[in-house]
Amino acid sequence: MKLDPRTKFYMILIVSAVVMLSATTPFLWGLKIAMTLIPIILLIIEKKYTSAFGFAFLYIAALVLTFAFLSEESTGLFKSLLIGYSGIVVQFLPCFITAWYVIRTTKIDEFMSAMQKMKVPDGIAISLAVVMRFFPTIKEEYASISDAMKMRGIALGGGNAAKMIEYRMIPLLFSCVNIGDELSAAAITRGLGGKVKRTSVAELRLRLVDWLLITAFTAVAVIFVVYKYFL
Amino acid sequence: MSENIIGIEHVSFKYKGSEMGLLNDISLNIASGETLLLTGASGSGKTTIIRLINGLIPHYYQGDLAGNVTVAGRDVAKTELYELAGVVGTVFQNPRSQFFSIDTDGEIVFGPENIGLDPKAILERKKSIVDQMHIEKLLGRSLFELSGGEKQSIACASVSALLPEIILLDEPSSNLDQGAIAKLRDQIALWKSQGKTIVISEHRLWYLKELVDRVIYMDSGNIAHEWSGSGFASFDSEKINELKLRPLVVPDILSPSCNGDCECDGDCDKVTDLPENEEGIVLKDFYFSYHLNPYLFWKKSFKEDDPNLSLCIPRLVLPKGAVIGVIGKNGTGKSTFLKCVCGLEKECKGVIKAYGKEYKGKQRLKLSYMVMQDVNHQLFTDSVESEVLLSMNEEDKERCDEILDSLGILEFKDKHPMALSGGQKQRVAIASAIAADAKLMLFDEPTSGLDFSHMEKVGELLKRLADSGNTVLVATHDPELIEMCCDYVLCIEHGKLGYLKKV
Amino acid sequence: MSSETGSNKLKAKDFITVGIFTAIILVVEFACGMLGYIHPFIVASYVIMIPLVGAIPMMLFYTKVQKFGMITIMSILIAIMMFVLGMGFLGAPLIIIAGVIADLIAKSGKYKSFKKTMLSYGVFCLWICANYFPVIVTAESYRQDLIDEGYSAEYCNNLFLAINYKTIGILLILCFVFGCLGALIGKAVVKKHFEKAGIV
Repeated sequence: MKLDPRTKFYMILIVSAVVMLSATTPFLWGLKIAMTLIPIILLIIEKKYTSAFGFAFLYIAALVLTFAFLSEESTGLFKSLLIGYSGIVVQFLPCFITAWYVIRTTKIDEFMSAMQKMKVPDGIAISLAVVMRFFPTIKEEYASISDAMKMRGIALGGGNAAKMIEYRMIPLLFSCVNIGDELSAAAITRGLGGKVKRTSVAELRLRLVDWLLITAFTAVAVIFVVYKYFL
Repeated sequence: MSENIIGIEHVSFKYKGSEMGLLNDISLNIASGETLLLTGASGSGKTTIIRLINGLIPHYYQGDLAGNVTVAGRDVAKTELYELAGVVGTVFQNPRSQFFSIDTDGEIVFGPENIGLDPKAILERKKSIVDQMHIEKLLGRSLFELSGGEKQSIACASVSALLPEIILLDEPSSNLDQGAIAKLRDQIALWKSQGKTIVISEHRLWYLKELVDRVIYMDSGNIAHEWSGSGFASFDSEKINELKLRPLVVPDILSPSCNGDCECDGDCDKVTDLPENEEGIVLKDFYFSYHLNPYLFWKKSFKEDDPNLSLCIPRLVLPKGAVIGVIGKNGTGKSTFLKCVCGLEKECKGVIKAYGKEYKGKQRLKLSYMVMQDVNHQLFTDSVESEVLLSMNEEDKERCDEILDSLGILEFKDKHPMALSGGQKQRVAIASAIAADAKLMLFDEPTSGLDFSHMEKVGELLKRLADSGNTVLVATHDPELIEMCCDYVLCIEHGKLGYLKKV
Repeated sequence: MSSETGSNKLKAKDFITVGIFTAIILVVEFACGMLGYIHPFIVASYVIMIPLVGAIPMMLFYTKVQKFGMITIMSILIAIMMFVLGMGFLGAPLIIIAGVIADLIAKSGKYKSFKKTMLSYGVFCLWICANYFPVIVTAESYRQDLIDEGYSAEYCNNLFLAINYKTIGILLILCFVFGCLGALIGKAVVKKHFEKAGIV
């Protein structure tokens, strides 16, 4: 199922706004959970089962923990740690799932085109596209570096925190700078940054599903605010 | 031949802050439709010429430039890079870093979108290019999951989509296996048949010798020789050796990838012939799979009969003190094999028996050391000396000097490892391996992108490591290297043992 | 003649550089953020960790900045990504204002003077406090909400003890101080590695 990137951005907007408001009644909790289910279902539709079920499990576990242990009497270090942890997961996971879904399913091409339609300056669109392109690159590079550290037995930096950071950061930065140089050269020789207006083959159109989702998310936001503050 | 499309007139160039890759008063004219090969040692200025033509010099790389470069009637110095985009296309060396998109489709249309073509026209172009190149099965995939060869195919498609008159290739085969190189050759032949002007900078020559019209031999910034393509193709191995070039003919016996015919008939399957006494290094139960993701707390466990295994080697005896070439196509399990042997894949429960001891799990890390393909990932400190000392259990500066001396890098002792050349960095990594007392040394593609004399040096070094009692496993696509230094060849196919035979 | 180098307008290469370093800074932020889950007090110690660790990539980034706008764009990107990851938009003005001022300070030193760079990075680090904005700005209702939700008074006390509208001033100052300190360390690391290796 293909969604318009603008729908996805709208999803992010609403989810980020709603998680800022805390749920105080079971109904509001239900609303929040229902809202979180949508990106999880979208991930399942995209056949990203591992991440979908991983997120679902984490979210449910955090919810159960929060509800089971949360009470005014819960004191003590362990319990406060547990609650702190699960509380933050419950708080931020909806955003994280949505962001994950958007980043994993939006092609750079669609992204640039949507940015252009929303009148975002080209420079910012390019930079933001590079940020998205670079997360997986950093992951790959870091995996190799961490292998190399294991081979040398220096993953813990000999117990020295500064060394631990240095051994990770330095090779990573060298790699990123190199890749960045080559990436820029390759992109520029293919005309990036020219004066002509960029076109795109990505056909951006708000289809029925898009409108349905936009309506659903708008409804969630409106109902949440109304029930929380006006009822 | 028709008129000149590229004119380089009395060009001298020096990179800012570097002595490598400079040019001394070069003049070179390239006719429209010509296929030109630039060859010569690393740092002789091949890549610099490519950059002059695509405008990266002077627009991107800074330095002192004198002289004139014209491409298709444009003065490169006075033309913006994006105006050259539809005229000159470049395929770069490193498939990992030259794509901007995350998905294959987006990458192919990236160029045409940048120069603002009509979306309909772009889609038509894309379709015709995909048809020409037969890359339908690559569409709709993430670039991060493609092999090096597949990434390079997409890079070629992306360049083609701009329909440039001139196509430049900068050591395009560096990270490719034999099969992928054959595909690259077909691609170049296709461009040639379309009348494109093609300039290739390359060390590997065997796949190009029938394609090129003219060969330029570079030596420290000068054009040292110039031959016609047919004249060059007829050179004998002596002449090639003299020029320090990689061979024109790939040794046949060592068909470098198993090419799908690993089922050897009888006599080549020598696995069982190896001595099974303490002379060998015995690998047992090496199973591994990327397909099984661990779900939460369930541990992965692999069985021999699992059809999804990426690596399945129940038992293998490696001859001790030998150089063993590990061959096989890209993505067939060579790297996985090396990673499992040296203990980087925790889920692989293989056991190594050697030197009267059993090495399990993390202990394998103590026995072995891998020099990675991208050696930049394994250099951590700010000087060559401290890099080696870091590997020692107890710092021993004398021994460090000895090791560095034996590898010929003592003079760089105080330099930053990242300031060294690729070959020197590799030696620093080897020095760390020796310092860590690794008995089993693994090399992942140590000669990709090296010129002949550097490859020769690597070969000698591997031999010397084996002579001093280490066992060396080297995964490679270079038949020349195998011929140069390997005692045995181990072929891996689809994660299974193809054969292990003496050379 | 304008070209990829030279001229004062930002070019594709600069945008790519900004993108890369923003990605790295965000990874640093996530890595430190993961630790923060453990206890509210660690959330407060972001102001020490992120400026120090982030200084290494940032000092390398400063060597690549020659034109006005690069730091500003970086702050805009960070604001966008923070929003995407659920930190809300309350912090966005702080992030962007810190970015613009940092950019102006560095510009006044023509992107060469180390003193100005240090000051600029110190100011830039103020963006880290945007992490706390959701807690502070909505403190009273947020606290009531937490207790309504059933959080223990102890957890709330801890959280608000470390982070409230009184301590925010201190946290901002800490960001700045550790930013300047981080700049010194980062500069030393850049010198030790990147200058020695000859890539800057």
